[in-house]
Amino acid sequence: MIENQSIYLAISVVLFIIGAAGAVCRRNAIVVFMCIEIMLGGVCIAFVTFSRAHQSLDGIFMVLFVMAVAAAEAAVGLAIFVLMYRKHGSIDLDKFNLLKW
Amino acid sequence: MELVFLLICGGLAVISSLLVIFARSTLHSALWMVFSFFMVAIIYVLLHAQFLAMLQVIVYAGAIMMFIIFAIMMLNLRHEKDAKVNTRVSKVVGVAALIVLFLEMMLVSLGNSLSAVQGPITDTLVATHGRVAVISNFLFADYLLPFEVVSILLTAGVIGAVVLAKRVK
Repeated sequence: MIENQSIYLAISVVLFIIGAAGAVCRRNAIVVFMCIEIMLGGVCIAFVTFSRAHQSLDGIFMVLFVMAVAAAEAAVGLAIFVLMYRKHGSIDLDKFNLLKW
Repeated sequence: MELVFLLICGGLAVISSLLVIFARSTLHSALWMVFSFFMVAIIYVLLHAQFLAMLQVIVYAGAIMMFIIFAIMMLNLRHEKDAKVNTRVSKVVGVAALIVLFLEMMLVSLGNSLSAVQGPITDTLVATHGRVAVISNFLFADYLLPFEVVSILLTAGVIGAVVLAKRVK
């Protein structure tokens, strides 16, 4: 245990839930994307907290790899948004049901 | 003192994350997101992860948000008014499930049942060798394979983005 460990974990839980609620409720694809980044940030705080509490570096490497994956995700995701906008003139997620019969 | 600083930064991170969701314009959401990333970086510093704090500012607040703001401006989304939260049944169910998840996670994180097995990275080791040296020793030895795989992933992501966004004749 490190000092204030519960507070760090509480912040990480609150950030995760805020991000998840935004991803559920908002319809703008870019805002949903940013909400996913908030969720990743909350998870990363928990990783670093446990990494410090256990005197280990594994959590820090996890956060490094999360950052790299988030960068790749941003590149591909925003290219997809540009394609969606070009095809339909909007990035409203409720209007996209291409995989539905 | 540290506790006060933590509470201020954590509170600001939570408030700015809420403003990301509730801001009317997408660009305002993006700017609050940058603020939220800076607050998370300060929390990393409080956790003695200075290297990650710098990476957070450079990669997230710099590169990724530059991508997002670039996309917002290129798509010219200002005219879209969709800040109202719609109340379809599936979304109500989703929020209810999230509340249950929130209570569960708070119960675990506020309880004192989390045990801590102590690893080799003590504060004295970090103080004698330096944090970046310790991190690089582990990153380029134990984590070499994941490191290389992530670099392949980034290359594939860049190529995929270019191929997707290229205008098909």
